[in-house]
Amino acid sequence: MSSRPPVIRVEDLHVWFALPGGGELHAVQGVTFELREGERMGLVGESGCGKTTTILAMMGLLPATASVSGKVILEGKDILIGGEETISPHRWNDIAMIFQGAMNAFNPVKTVGAQIAEPMVLHGLATRKGARLRVAELLDLVGISGDRADRYPHEFSGGMRQRAAIAMALACSPKVLLADEPTTALDVMVQAQILELLVSLSSTLGQELGLTVILVTHDLPVVAQVCDRTAVMYAGQIVEMAGMSEIYHDPRHPYSRMLFAATPDLLGDEEVASIPGAPPRLDREIAGCPFRPRCDSVFEPCATLSPPRREPVAGHEARCHLNDPALTEMAS
Amino acid sequence: MRGADYVVKRVAFAILTVFIAITLNFVLFRALSGDAISGLRCRQCSVAFKEAQRRNLGLDESRWVQYRLYLADLAHFDLGNSVPSEKPVRGELVEPIKNSLPMIALGTLFAIVFGTLVGVVAAWRRGTFADKGGLYTALGFYSMPTQWLGLMLIFFVANAIGLPSSGIKTPTLGLFADASTWALFSDRMKHMFLPALTLGLVLYGDYALIVRSAMLETLGEDYVLTARAKGLKNWAIVRSHGLRNAMLPIITLVALSLGFIIGGSITVEYVFSYPGLGLLTVEAIDKRDFPLLQAIFLLLTLSVIFFNLLADLLYFRFDPRVTT
Repeated sequence: MSSRPPVIRVEDLHVWFALPGGGELHAVQGVTFELREGERMGLVGESGCGKTTTILAMMGLLPATASVSGKVILEGKDILIGGEETISPHRWNDIAMIFQGAMNAFNPVKTVGAQIAEPMVLHGLATRKGARLRVAELLDLVGISGDRADRYPHEFSGGMRQRAAIAMALACSPKVLLADEPTTALDVMVQAQILELLVSLSSTLGQELGLTVILVTHDLPVVAQVCDRTAVMYAGQIVEMAGMSEIYHDPRHPYSRMLFAATPDLLGDEEVASIPGAPPRLDREIAGCPFRPRCDSVFEPCATLSPPRREPVAGHEARCHLNDPALTEMAS
Repeated sequence: MRGADYVVKRVAFAILTVFIAITLNFVLFRALSGDAISGLRCRQCSVAFKEAQRRNLGLDESRWVQYRLYLADLAHFDLGNSVPSEKPVRGELVEPIKNSLPMIALGTLFAIVFGTLVGVVAAWRRGTFADKGGLYTALGFYSMPTQWLGLMLIFFVANAIGLPSSGIKTPTLGLFADASTWALFSDRMKHMFLPALTLGLVLYGDYALIVRSAMLETLGEDYVLTARAKGLKNWAIVRSHGLRNAMLPIITLVALSLGFIIGGSITVEYVFSYPGLGLLTVEAIDKRDFPLLQAIFLLLTLSVIFFNLLADLLYFRFDPRVTT
C-alpha cells in the first residue's frame, strides 16, 4: 500500500475567519494528512470542529472573509499556491465534491442533465452532444434511468437528487472525491445504497479505478461501513488518525474513545454515553490541550503544553500527552 | 406541451379581471357626486340645456340600462364623446398615447439596463465601494418624489446642457420652412429626454435595489457554490446560474411597475408639460370630462392586467417549477 505515492497531501493547513466585530477565528489549525489512490478516509468530529472548512479550503471555496495558509499537494503540485488561477483548473476535473445538503446542489431552472454535463463541457472533456451519452451513463451508474436527464431537479425525489449529485461529482472522472455528509437527511435504505456506491467506485475491483474519497460526517457507523481510515477532528485539529479498526480497538486519544462510546449500540441496552461540556472557542489562543476541560484523563502537562502530533504506533497518530512515555512517567 | 392548461387558465383569469374592471369603472364614476353635465360652465348652459344633454348621453336612464349601454358601446370600441370638445374619445386618446409610450419605453429601458447592471455588480461585489455606491444612489433615487426630481432636472440640468424643459416640440420648428424628418426626430428626442430620465432614474433606484437583493439571495444558494466547485469563473456563474434565477422576481416587478407607469407618469408629464396620457388625465379631471376619464382609467386597468398576464406567462416560460 505504502508503495503507491499519495494522490493528495494536505500540509499544515490553517484557516482563519475574520469576525465582523474584529478579531479572528482560527477554524482549522494545522491539518496534515495524505491519501493514496483508492483510499477512503472518514473525517469525523462534532459540529463546528472544522471538517467542512477543511475540505472547502482544499478546493479554495471558502468565502472572502477566510484566509488560508498551508499546502494542498495534488500529485506533487501545490494547487493553493496561486489562488484561483491554480485551483480552478483542478476543480471538478481532479477534485470533485458532494455538498452537504446536495439536494440543493442543482439549479432549479436547469435540467439535471445539463448541470451534470456543464463541468465536462467547461473543462473540454466533451462536446455538448458527447456529454449527453456520458450523462446517461453516469445516471445509470447511480441507479437513475438515463432518460431522466432532461428532467428538472424538482421532478426528482430527495434521494434521487442526492444520487444525481454523486453522478455530477463523477462527471469529469475526478481523482479525489470530497463527500460532505452525503447521506444525512436520507432514509436508511437510500443511505446504504449510496454508501455502497461510494465503496464500489473507489475499490479497484470496480469499473472506475481508484477514486480517493474523503467522507465528512459525524456518523461513526457510516465511516466504519465505508472507510479504511479515520481522522478525528477536534477544535480545528486532527487529534487522532489511524486505520478504522486500529482507532476503534485501540484509541490513542480520549476524545476518540469517548466518541465511540457515545455511539448507540443496536443490541446493547446500556445508556448511551455522552461527552459533557462544549468545544472551546476558537477566536482566542488556547493554552495547553484544547480537549482538557472535557477530558477524563487529564494530568499535569495538559494545562500548559499543547500536545504535538505523535505516532505511537506506525500509521497511527494522535495529539495527546498520554502517548508520550516521558511525560506519563514523570506524572506517575 | 407543458401546462397548456396553465396558459388557458391565466388568460381566462385575465379576461374575467378585465370584465370586473370594466364594471368597477362604470360603478365608480356613477358613485361620484355630480355627472358629466354638472361640471359644464357656459353662458348658454341653462338648466333646460343641461337636461337635454343628459338625455342625449343617456344619463336619465336607470343605472342598469346605462350599464348595458356602456357594455354595448365598449363592445364596438365606442368610448363616447369628450364633453368639452364633443369629439370621440377614441380619437382624443391616440395622440397622447403616441407621445407617452416612447417616453415611458425609453425611461423603463434606461432603468432596466442600469438597474440590472448596478444591482448585479453590487451583489457580486458585496460590501465593496461599488456596492455601497450603487446601493446609496439607488436608495437616493428611489426615495425621491418624481415631481421633485423632475423640477430639479429642469432647474439645474435642462439649461446647463441645453435641453428643452417642457412640451414635446419646438413651436417654431417647421413653421417657416419644412423641417427634415431627422430634425423632427431629434427635436422629439430632445423633448423626450428629461421626462424619460426622470422616470428612468426613479425606476432605476427601484430596480437596482430589487436586482441586488434577488441576486444576493441567488448567490447564496448551494448551486452557486456547486457551480464554483465545478470550476466556473465568476462571471460565468453570474451569467449562467445567477441571472436566470434572479430574473424571476425581477420579471414580476418590472411587469407590475410597467402596468402602473402607463398611468404613473402623471407627475412627470405634468412637471414637463409633456402632452401624454398623464397630462391628458390631469386635464380631463380639471374639466370633469367623464367619458375621457372613464376611457383613460379603462386603458390603465387594461394595461395593468395585460402586464400581469405577461408576467405570469414569462414566469411560466422561465421557471420550470411553475405548473399551476
